[in-house]
Amino acid sequence: MLFPTFGFLLFFLVVAAALAALGPRFEAKKAVLVVASYYFYAAWDWHFCFLLAFSSAVSFTAGLLIAKHERHKRPILTVAVTIHLLLLGTFKYLDFLTLSANRLAHLLDLHAELPFIEVILPVGISFFTFHGISYVVDVYRGDVAVCRRPLDMLLYMSFFPQLVAGPIVRASYFLPQLQRPSTGPIPVATAVVLILGGLFKKVVIANYLATGLADPVFGAPTSYGGPDLLLAAYAYAVQIYCDFSAYTDMAIAIAALCGFRFPRNFDQPYRAQRLREFWQRWHISLSTWLRDYLYKPLGGNRYGRLKTYRNLMITMLLGGIWHGAGWKFVMWGAMHGGGLAVERMLGLGARPVSLWAKVVSTIVVFHFVCLAWIFFRAEDFAVASLFIAGLFSRWSQGVQQAGPFAVALILIGMAEQFTPVRLFEPLSAWLERVPLWGIGVAAGIGVAIVNALGPEGVAPFIYFRF
Amino acid sequence: MSEQPPRAPLVTDAIPPRLRRTGTTPAGVLLMCVIGTLVLGLFASRDLVTWTQRFADAPGAPTAQRLVQKWDGWMAGLGLVEPHETLRSAVARLVDMGWGGGPND
Repeated sequence: MLFPTFGFLLFFLVVAAALAALGPRFEAKKAVLVVASYYFYAAWDWHFCFLLAFSSAVSFTAGLLIAKHERHKRPILTVAVTIHLLLLGTFKYLDFLTLSANRLAHLLDLHAELPFIEVILPVGISFFTFHGISYVVDVYRGDVAVCRRPLDMLLYMSFFPQLVAGPIVRASYFLPQLQRPSTGPIPVATAVVLILGGLFKKVVIANYLATGLADPVFGAPTSYGGPDLLLAAYAYAVQIYCDFSAYTDMAIAIAALCGFRFPRNFDQPYRAQRLREFWQRWHISLSTWLRDYLYKPLGGNRYGRLKTYRNLMITMLLGGIWHGAGWKFVMWGAMHGGGLAVERMLGLGARPVSLWAKVVSTIVVFHFVCLAWIFFRAEDFAVASLFIAGLFSRWSQGVQQAGPFAVALILIGMAEQFTPVRLFEPLSAWLERVPLWGIGVAAGIGVAIVNALGPEGVAPFIYFRF
Repeated sequence: MSEQPPRAPLVTDAIPPRLRRTGTTPAGVLLMCVIGTLVLGLFASRDLVTWTQRFADAPGAPTAQRLVQKWDGWMAGLGLVEPHETLRSAVARLVDMGWGGGPND
């Protein structure tokens, strides 16, 4: 069930009706949200609801045990995290590891082969695994009170707006919201603005850039000249940003309409002047998760330069592998890890001051990120290499695939990166003054316009596969 | 000369407090959603038809398809599908446009 569909709209109408009917009964509302979230997840494959419930049970039990057996909390933490990682590893990496082992055996002229199982990847497993690990580690560290209500744990792990593609919501941020109902008003005007903006980014920009430019060129890079390849790389950079940030915007808005707060996940990442800054602006909930649960436990920057570089490399390599099983993701992570290490090595931690230096830094960082996206998007390592080689050849062919519309969408996507965020706030402020029925009419017309501007049917969000 | 990059705070609310000062209740959210859905039903009836076709095997699908087609017919009679069709065909022309201004080969 995708957000920008009539199916989701009907689903949300039922949820909104139930929340409205229950009035101040907060526990009943949470129960409704848990049932709705499991229904939402079952729409993909109901079998995996058991996996989600098991993952929640592991975290819940581990939290209780850590609170009860203070002296043995470390082994309890280890067991819980291992179970989460084993689940993730089995569903996400078993096929990749089997294939890699068989290839190695073939290279070594060994005649033994491991059986290939073709494991189906449950949607959102990476996200709920990270939620589960975050909770257990936070309880272990004393950053969050142990959750003693199974309903709260079930909702924390399964809350449908973030279930399949994030943002990764920390236990210390979300669980306190389940202690008592929010007393503030529901910011409906801002939610509508976020939904309409997200729909436009996904349905119009990301969809057309994917079907019109990125997909065909990445599918057969040797058929195109340098200009098309370059524009396809830019197109993918804008597509993945619009796709993922659109999902996040809609998730934030839907959570707000249900009475909950979500953290910010994107902050105009392509305006970053340093790679480090890019990671403070891109998928913030993942980068801060990696920082707090991986980079810092590894030692962070506390044990000298070499160990800092090593820790950066390990963190980003694992961040790459988190996105998927494949050498192309390893390469993507290695590029970012290496880039961050080189930035530190050269003492480029600070942002430049002069305008020209800022412009040049932004362009350099953006192109480095685009280069890494090529590995991320390409079918495999070999296709990515062909793509990169093609960037420097066949410029005489001119532009074949990229039309003015695709280029305009790239420019619109990039312009959004440099538009002050506060420029959109007057729109929310104006909508706040409109009566509720007027907001409903505006939302209906807005969705109808975006729907008409987009192609028929909506492709799944890119981050669903992670 | 250089300035230090700002350190991101641990977790920042996506919707800042200044945008949370006014709003509505869960009943208001429901009202807004119902009105929005009705308005969407008026102006996006064409896509409603294609959407129901995707669930052709579901129980009750033929009835739903008949109802939706009837609804779309009414909306067409009222001229409410025209904005949708105008916008979609305009975008289709833009998508097909080549660098010379005419349609792409």
